[in-house]
Amino acid sequence: MIGLSYASVPLYRLYCQVSGLGGTAVAGHDSEQVETMTPVKERIIKVTFNADTHASIQWNFRPQQSEIYVVPGETALAFYRAKNPTDKPIIGISTYNVVPFEAGQYFNKIQCFCFEEQRLNPQEEVDMPVFFYIDPDFDVDPRMARVDTITLSYTFFEAKGGQSLPLPGFSYSSLRTSDKPMTDP
Amino acid sequence: MSTAMNFGSKSFKPRAPDKGSFPLDHFGECKSFKETFMKCLRENSFDNSSCRMQSKDYLQCRMDHQLMAKEPLEKLGFKNQMDPPPHSQTHTESQSSS
Repeated sequence: MIGLSYASVPLYRLYCQVSGLGGTAVAGHDSEQVETMTPVKERIIKVTFNADTHASIQWNFRPQQSEIYVVPGETALAFYRAKNPTDKPIIGISTYNVVPFEAGQYFNKIQCFCFEEQRLNPQEEVDMPVFFYIDPDFDVDPRMARVDTITLSYTFFEAKGGQSLPLPGFSYSSLRTSDKPMTDP
Repeated sequence: MSTAMNFGSKSFKPRAPDKGSFPLDHFGECKSFKETFMKCLRENSFDNSSCRMQSKDYLQCRMDHQLMAKEPLEKLGFKNQMDPPPHSQTHTESQSSS
């Protein structure tokens, strides 16, 4: 049981390394883009939602909608819900996955509940929002021409209280090439 | 698509959210706005575009209750949902979609 939660630590570190966690801007995410982008109204994409919990965590965790229809270039909101049905506080931490793989680079989360510890008190239930958009460049990428469904999956793990998850000491500039979405045809 | 972290086959690279994590709404202060938004979705076949006002209101609620960093909602993609200011000489018309 302890091993399972410790396994999430290197997993988290791995995601940190790739994602540049810590609130720093990740190359390719332009916050000006959100303000200026134009919805591609004719390209409707169905986003479906999965929720998983690792065996180590006793939360009930589920999406509040099974799907939502969005268009690239328009911000969208969706909700999950988590409940701690036990009689002790539980701290969880989540990560996410997007399929199809190639669409993931166009899936931009502005704000959500992932990668940071979330504590639920006994019997507490909370709404967990995800605020995201699909990059308008999705519509002009020929590899995405047949993609009309994107699935977002979150998985919660239990994090032991007081565990600090150190940010790896690496150079963010080394991430720049790997995070830019490919826009070349 | 090749990166230093490529494990030989295609692997998804999660990215941290741009603005970090939402604080949890432990007291359900914005629950009613969430319910209004969800009701709108159900009534509109889960079409996000039909419920932009409701999602804007939810995020505004979060900002009002210190559950989200305050910033102009135009910066969150809601420029088309904002009322023009009453003294409209400062109303900037950004170039709209075709």
